[in-house]
Amino acid sequence: MPLLKVENITCGYGDMEVLRELSVEVAEGEIVSIIGPNGAGKSTLMKAVFGLLHPWQGAIHFEGRDISRLEPYQIVETGMCYVPQVANVFTQLTVEENLEMGAFVLKDGDIGARKEKIFELFPRLKERRRQAAGKMSGGERQMVAMGSALMLDPKLILLDEPSAGLAPKMVDHIFERIVRINETGLAIMMVEQNATQSLRMAHRGYVLANGENRFEGTGQALLNDPDVGRLYLGG
Amino acid sequence: MNATQDPTAQAPELTPRLDERIRAALQTRTAMAVILAGLLALIVVLAIVQDVSAGRILSLTVWGIMLGGVIGLGSIGLTLCYGVLKFPNFSHGAMVTLGAYVTFAVMQALPQGEVLRPFSFGWEFLVALIVSMPVVGVVAIGIDRVMYRRLRQRNASLVLFAMASLAMAFFLRSIIYLVWGSDFRFYYEGRANPALDLPFGLRVQADQFFILGLAIVLVIAVYLLLERTKMGKAMRATANNPELAQVRGINTERVVAWTWLMGGALAAAGGAMYGLASQLRPEMGFWLLLPMFAAVIMGSIGNPRGALAGALIIGVAQQVSTAFLNPAYGPGVAFILMVLTLLIRPQGLFGGTE
Amino acid sequence: MDQALVAKSVFLAVPLLLLGLKLVPLRWALRIPVALVGAFVLALIISNLLPSGKLSYLVSFSIMAGIYAILTLGLNTQWGFTGHLNFGIAGFFAVGAFTSALFTTAAPTGVMAQYTQQAFGFEAPFLIGILAAAIVSGFVAFLIAIPVLRLRMDFLAIATIGIAEIIRLIFQNERWLANGPQPLRGIPRPLHCLFDEPSCAPGPLATLLQPLEPRDYIYFYLCVVTVLLALTYLLVETATRSPWGRVLRAVRDEEQSAAMNGKNITSFRIQSFVVGAAVMGLGGGLYAHYAVTIDYSHFNPLFATFIVWVMLMLGGSGNNKGAILGAFIIWGVWSGTAFLTGMIEPTLAQISQDLPARSAYLRWLLVAILLAGIVLYRPQGLIAEEKVVSRFLAKTGIGRGRRKQAREEEAETAS
Repeated sequence: MPLLKVENITCGYGDMEVLRELSVEVAEGEIVSIIGPNGAGKSTLMKAVFGLLHPWQGAIHFEGRDISRLEPYQIVETGMCYVPQVANVFTQLTVEENLEMGAFVLKDGDIGARKEKIFELFPRLKERRRQAAGKMSGGERQMVAMGSALMLDPKLILLDEPSAGLAPKMVDHIFERIVRINETGLAIMMVEQNATQSLRMAHRGYVLANGENRFEGTGQALLNDPDVGRLYLGG
Repeated sequence: MNATQDPTAQAPELTPRLDERIRAALQTRTAMAVILAGLLALIVVLAIVQDVSAGRILSLTVWGIMLGGVIGLGSIGLTLCYGVLKFPNFSHGAMVTLGAYVTFAVMQALPQGEVLRPFSFGWEFLVALIVSMPVVGVVAIGIDRVMYRRLRQRNASLVLFAMASLAMAFFLRSIIYLVWGSDFRFYYEGRANPALDLPFGLRVQADQFFILGLAIVLVIAVYLLLERTKMGKAMRATANNPELAQVRGINTERVVAWTWLMGGALAAAGGAMYGLASQLRPEMGFWLLLPMFAAVIMGSIGNPRGALAGALIIGVAQQVSTAFLNPAYGPGVAFILMVLTLLIRPQGLFGGTE
Repeated sequence: MDQALVAKSVFLAVPLLLLGLKLVPLRWALRIPVALVGAFVLALIISNLLPSGKLSYLVSFSIMAGIYAILTLGLNTQWGFTGHLNFGIAGFFAVGAFTSALFTTAAPTGVMAQYTQQAFGFEAPFLIGILAAAIVSGFVAFLIAIPVLRLRMDFLAIATIGIAEIIRLIFQNERWLANGPQPLRGIPRPLHCLFDEPSCAPGPLATLLQPLEPRDYIYFYLCVVTVLLALTYLLVETATRSPWGRVLRAVRDEEQSAAMNGKNITSFRIQSFVVGAAVMGLGGGLYAHYAVTIDYSHFNPLFATFIVWVMLMLGGSGNNKGAILGAFIIWGVWSGTAFLTGMIEPTLAQISQDLPARSAYLRWLLVAILLAGIVLYRPQGLIAEEKVVSRFLAKTGIGRGRRKQAREEEAETAS
């Protein structure tokens, strides 16, 4: 049984349909990369999975449980976390407070140990624990955002363009962290503009266009597919 | 307006870039603080020019700080609601009035005890105050459930929230009129409240110290709550980025309820203090509305410490200006300070530049 | 037939004629005679059916509703078409009323000067007075617009509520300006002499006015108010359909995407704010000449603002017809609550002895609940099925707002 199963969802904003009968699956411990051109509905898919939008049709199952009607604060408790692309840290809160907010649903006692685990993964955050997140660089903010999402020790983490707006060196660093996070057993579903690099590290990938599923396969297979290459990977 | 603040801006050979830089410099926090300090100094100078004695100016300043405490209690609640809920709550003044009258009603029900000298009130006032704070807080939550929550669920525009709060201002006000009438009321009818004789010719009532003391205690409590408790941090997080707060698993509805509870309770305390310092009238909260908003904007929306700082500045400016200005224009002084803030630095004294 | 009734019917026919010209669905060549005949017949029927007391009540009701309709049109120019959140309507209303009063009265001299103080008194004709009311009110708006209009719309709401309060404080405290806390009396009613001594009217008019008494003046004033209301409606309607109005809507809709040059936006926003305030000033002037005696307490900063907003919200913002309809309905509700509280007064007395004296506040309560109900259940107003209604609400509301947001977010993903 897949960890996350998105079945034929149709969804959108107001009366505008963005996703049409889209299906995506993520198995346990897998990195799944979703790529596609602008406006394909990648971010919308993330929001629908996380309960920020509710699908008009179709179902979303997480560990066999239907979550398509749950609100985000309930979904967090099922073991799924989401890192939005923009505005993904509380700029006026310190790094430490940001992490604590990631564990809002937990009892206070567990928070300290969790924080130490995150600091191990991102040592730089430990140095700056008292700094306001708004005063940090883009890469550091991304670490804060991912760290906050990991505070709950989720089974699946949704990453919306983790490399957006970062310097190339920082992109490599973040991707390397993502692989490390995955090696601890977490499943990852990520949306990326940086298609080639993200398919290279992904176990499987989906290519979205116009809110529909165009191609799917292992990361390597998609990279080698001449159509995908020509249309979506820029030759 | 900005240019006149800085003598160098008049130089004709300024390049636009230098001009831009001066403008930017004027918009910094320091510049704004300097301008505000200058304005307060100007008010004092105007008072001195009018042959007002130093002792009186000092007394007025101290009274201004007390008034600032009252405005501050109201504006802390207002700024929290503004920050978390993102709309200006025009019914906050009515909540201040409601707090004053609920305190009055509770006192009526209690037996009158001995006066706690040097203050003019007895223990029944303190009990009534402690009762009225949560009562008004719960009223605020109730209004939120009936009105604002439904609008939130519908993603309604800011305008509808503002209109709803205007309707609620009228709703609360008419209830206050219906229950208590339009006459003045006093917590202690005709009780003498002599001023203490202090050095430097200061004449201040003990009650005024109580008001300031209570304001400071409540501000410290709010500050600790926001910085140290999980709910307080969640409130700050929600004010900072409501969408992310949801994503992080914060039950924002609970945060909103807590915000209203605190906002209502602080407004009630402010109302009771205001009533203690003068008298109870159904419009009293409305008169405070403009100074409260001025304090909120001056101290940056969503920032309780800023709101208190703004309130103290406004309180002092309002009181000291009475040395040469009809006291009725107090709200006008607050208004001028607010417009000045909006011109120089709309994000306020404590707002970031992002 | 009673001659007085005929004369009254002639006056009543004027507003009905204007209404007919707007509503009769015929070609103009037919519409004018049909409306003319219809209006006169209807006026005759109304004046014959209603007893004289009820008829005068209806007339004075319509005058006040008409004045409020002008205020609502002014607000619609600011809010419905440009998105300005003006919570200081009472201020512009008061400025208009006092300006017109000062322009048209005579500065007191001798013994009178001890009782009444005013900054000046030009004894100007009525039309100059209300024109000045519009201009001064617009000028006050202009002064305010410069610092405040470039800011967020919630700041404008806060600032305008403050301005209304300060304007009230000034009129309350500055005796030299307009008699301070004392009322300003004796504001002339235009052409009042026609009713005092019909001989001052030219030939045939004198015969018509002969049977009327001075207290029937309101029938004439109703014509004044409705003609000015119609002119305001035409002006605002033409303006909003003109290129100028299209730019306003474009400014309103495109502001967030900042597609236009910043300076232009500010200039257009100021223009619409000033025009709206001038219309409100006109309403204030009309009120002053109707009330004859005014003082600061007539312009309760919350009440006038609040009720005009209720009117516009009910009618449907962005729609001038809706604004007028809303004004008449809400003024009707407001007047109706007076009867209602009168009726339940015995019940109130049973609850508490103090309540009957406070029943006026029960009316506030009812209107507050009405506004809350509109906000919750019908934010788009009454005339929602028309396409032009509440364009602004449609934009900020769920439907289009979300879609736009979605598009922007997808665009963000792309960048």
